[in-house]
Amino acid sequence: MATFDIEELGRLIAALPPTPEGWVRAAQELPQVRRGLDDLLARAEADVALRARLIADLESTLADAGIEPTRHVLADVRERLRSP
Amino acid sequence: MGLELSDSALVARCRAGDDSAWALLVDRFSRYVYAICSQGFRLSRPDAEDVFQDVFTKAYENLSKLRNDDAIRPWLAQLTRRLCIDRLREATREVPVEELEPDGMDELIETLDDALTVREAMALIGEPCGDMLDRFFARDQSYRTIGDELDLPAGTIASRISRCLEKLKGAMEDSGALVSPEVG
Repeated sequence: MATFDIEELGRLIAALPPTPEGWVRAAQELPQVRRGLDDLLARAEADVALRARLIADLESTLADAGIEPTRHVLADVRERLRSP
Repeated sequence: MGLELSDSALVARCRAGDDSAWALLVDRFSRYVYAICSQGFRLSRPDAEDVFQDVFTKAYENLSKLRNDDAIRPWLAQLTRRLCIDRLREATREVPVEELEPDGMDELIETLDDALTVREAMALIGEPCGDMLDRFFARDQSYRTIGDELDLPAGTIASRISRCLEKLKGAMEDSGALVSPEVG
């Protein structure tokens, strides 16, 4: 059985410093955000006015839909709006 | 739901659409992914954040393609390495891909694998030991800060940390968490 001595244990604990909390939270919320976006974009396909609002003011429209418009979310939606 | 859930069970629950399992998976591997980006590839903070989010987005989208649920850790490591290289390649197109990965990456991943195992064992020793060790070693907090935040006399923190390390070592030996494949 391999074991670590006390000094190695300290070094190994230090090897994994905490990730910025906001990064972790954003990744954890991915499933909910994905579902919200899927729903919003599906509605936008059938609703010309909603699609126009999304294109004209993406951040506000997402926020109104309860989706935090983070940089990554905005990039994702822009890409999906561009695709046919 | 926590450390009693194996990696493979956690992946299975994520694949079944369990949001709390996904949150736990991110929590379990966030430091690992972050360390590869920041320590291994020395990405800038914005680049590391982009890669970090990309890793978990691709993991979420591709969990169904994982052939062995127990292999989530190496799969995430490989995914992170690939996305770090992609990020570096965007900035330095003239450099061959094989030169973008810093030397010693395999050794770093091995160290981080050991570090994750130690972190799993930290959950076995209870609080405040786990928290105290994390604060001192991983968060680089002073004895005074730890004492203030945990409402303990600052003069006792050093000896408490020492006892907690002994407890951690004992817990790992008792649990057989570090059975070496070579010596079985």
